[in-house]
Amino acid sequence: MAEVLVVDDSKVMRDMVVACLRPYPGLTFTHASSGLEAIERLSLQPYDLLVLDLNMPDIGGIEVVEFVRGQDRLRELPIIIVTTRGDEASRARALAAGASRFMTKPFTPDAILAEARGLLEGGRA
Amino acid sequence: MSASVDLADFLPAYLAEAEELLGTGHRQLLAMEVSLRRGVAHPRAVRELFRAVHTLKGLSAMVDVEPIVDIAHWMETCLRNADRAGGRLPQASVEPLMEGLREIEQRVRQLAAGKSAAPVPAGLLARLEALEVAGAAGGGGVATGGAAALALEEALASRLSPAEREQLTTGVTGARRAVRLDFIPGADRAASGTTINTVRERVASLGETVKVLPLSGPTVGGGSLTFVLLVLTEASDAELQEAAGGPPASVRPLVVPATAEAPAPGLEAPGVLEEEEPEESRRSGGTLRVEVSRLDEALERLAALVVNRSRLSRAVAALTAAGAPTRELNAILQENARQLRDMRTAILRLRMVRVGDVLERLPLLVRGLRRSTGKAVRLALDVGDEELDKAVADRLLPALVHLVRNAVDHALELPEARRALGKPDEGVVRVATHGRAGGLLDLTVSDDGRGVDAQAVAARARVPMPATPDALLELLCRPGFSTRDAANATSGRGMGMDIVRRIIVEQLGGELALETRPGAGTTFRLRVPLTITLLDALVFECAGLRYAVAVGSVEELIEVDAARLARPAGAGGLCLLERRGSAVPLVSLARLLGLAPGAAQDAMGAKALLVRQRGELVAFGVDRLVGQQEIVLRPLEDPLVRVPGVVGATDLGDGQPTLVLDLAALGLARGGKPSRREASAKAERYLS
Repeated sequence: MAEVLVVDDSKVMRDMVVACLRPYPGLTFTHASSGLEAIERLSLQPYDLLVLDLNMPDIGGIEVVEFVRGQDRLRELPIIIVTTRGDEASRARALAAGASRFMTKPFTPDAILAEARGLLEGGRA
Repeated sequence: MSASVDLADFLPAYLAEAEELLGTGHRQLLAMEVSLRRGVAHPRAVRELFRAVHTLKGLSAMVDVEPIVDIAHWMETCLRNADRAGGRLPQASVEPLMEGLREIEQRVRQLAAGKSAAPVPAGLLARLEALEVAGAAGGGGVATGGAAALALEEALASRLSPAEREQLTTGVTGARRAVRLDFIPGADRAASGTTINTVRERVASLGETVKVLPLSGPTVGGGSLTFVLLVLTEASDAELQEAAGGPPASVRPLVVPATAEAPAPGLEAPGVLEEEEPEESRRSGGTLRVEVSRLDEALERLAALVVNRSRLSRAVAALTAAGAPTRELNAILQENARQLRDMRTAILRLRMVRVGDVLERLPLLVRGLRRSTGKAVRLALDVGDEELDKAVADRLLPALVHLVRNAVDHALELPEARRALGKPDEGVVRVATHGRAGGLLDLTVSDDGRGVDAQAVAARARVPMPATPDALLELLCRPGFSTRDAANATSGRGMGMDIVRRIIVEQLGGELALETRPGAGTTFRLRVPLTITLLDALVFECAGLRYAVAVGSVEELIEVDAARLARPAGAGGLCLLERRGSAVPLVSLARLLGLAPGAAQDAMGAKALLVRQRGELVAFGVDRLVGQQEIVLRPLEDPLVRVPGVVGATDLGDGQPTLVLDLAALGLARGGKPSRREASAKAERYLS
């Protein structure tokens, strides 16, 4: 069993990410529709994987990554950032902040599944 | 690793969200235009429009609609420049942006009508591109000078954009103040419905939130996170504090009034301009669009009323028992119960959507499939005026999409093959409703294709030939089962059938059946409930099993500190837990459920859920909190299997039924003092 937090202000996008990762056995999913909600959930309970949109209404993905990496408890949490063409500058900042992987829209279900698999099974130490 | 997911399945959902984003886009662009005419920046509208366009771009890329991606990309670039310029959009940009939205809208409509999106008109991209150059050249002059200083530590102030600073410092006029509201989230607060989302909603009704900043570091109450909301408002400190769940939330002024200067000429409070027409007030054709969350809120309020009513009726019962004349009171109570039931029905009716509206995206799906498979296929919709709860409809649609997809992809033969069999070239997939009975809606999805080859299915599953249609369906619904034949199909019968069954049977508590005749076709018969109960639930683990309880029933969630447990002598092994200076009985849920007979006293669990049982707090020890999520509650309808303390079951997405508990009722039932009065109170709580 592994807990995945999927953060995106677009419901369709969240549903797509969940559908893409669903074939991986034993995952349970929690949705967050904003960066703030994500931070709140992360501060209240543990997760095994964070899938994060960069561009959100209140605070963006980069700030969420910065928050996560600033917490001892969350330092090793794998983070997949979902970006869109045109986000290149933010992507560099997210990488510097400590994101683990990037998926640029459009990506295939297999591609994100493979990244998730790698992060969940790759040993996080 | 097979691609068992096809993102094209999300096209209907994409189109719906695209329409919403376009609506937001149009509103923000109009608001910007109004501001421009008055010579004022409108940073928030610029940001909102940017986000809408950016989201559209990403989604369009996922479902492969390149022309929209291109238009959105250039609009976004232009808006990014405006945001960097403090929300000032050049007048010349409005028209091309307007045109961009219109062109995107046109393509969304084309897709909805089953056509492909037209290529981008060459002139538009050139015009948008020209804007980018102009914007980048003239984007420097941000007017931030002179405004009042923000009383905000640098760590927070540095996280504000120039536009946000400007909004805060110039937004102070008359009774309108700029304040910071500190909200400290916590599991107990989340359990009682106070989360950053609800706080934001409540604050939104009191003023304008310019920015919310998360702040790490120790907080009152042992947390490590504070949300700092920067708000322009006329509300009092007390009102704001209340909106954030009361203390330890705190309010401080943000703009020091002493340094506040008269606003520069031409700079009005952005707030004046931001009175957008609320979406729900836009009526069209006698219907009203309302966010589902508002209906849910109404239902929650009603639930609170119902709980309160049961307290009232207990109080009246006590009076009656004491010999007071309560005939009149009882008559009023009865009337009140009927009114509450009527009101619940009225609210639930608001959530009903017509099945026909739910299915209106299917023709689009079939047209897409016709192109991708090269099969001649017609979709026949034979749908009455039945209505379903929105929550059921949202879950049903993906199942129907799976079934229709499977029918076209796999069941229907290619035109030549059909001709050879004496069938018309064009295959028919029919989705029909057959009325309601007993709170269930009957639907069928049928095709006139080749039928399911039971022998082939059995061979593939390496089991004996199934003897009945039910047994065949069982095989098809095995997780991961597929009759996919790489040589001739893009997806197979069986692909996703486990998902269909999970939605229809496990999630919705409905029924799924199969009829198939080799060479003649297949019919799936679905029966789904018209309404379901959604519940915000805490999910936890106890003795290795998962359970859920309604968030609203849990007063608080605490860690169990074994060192601080007391076991008074002669209390029959009863364990007490200290909480804020008073003793609360701690009950091991595992033992209560008979999961750990004779377990050691120490097996009290690591966490405890505090629940009020007849007004008294009781702590139920559990092993681990899994999380909070919305669940579909399936009540245990059969009176024979009704168990006190178990309100129903749900599927958390793992295909396993998870019991939903009513801890208070469970504690009473197993505590040796089951009372009839309590049972009837519980029944009332679930009304109807």
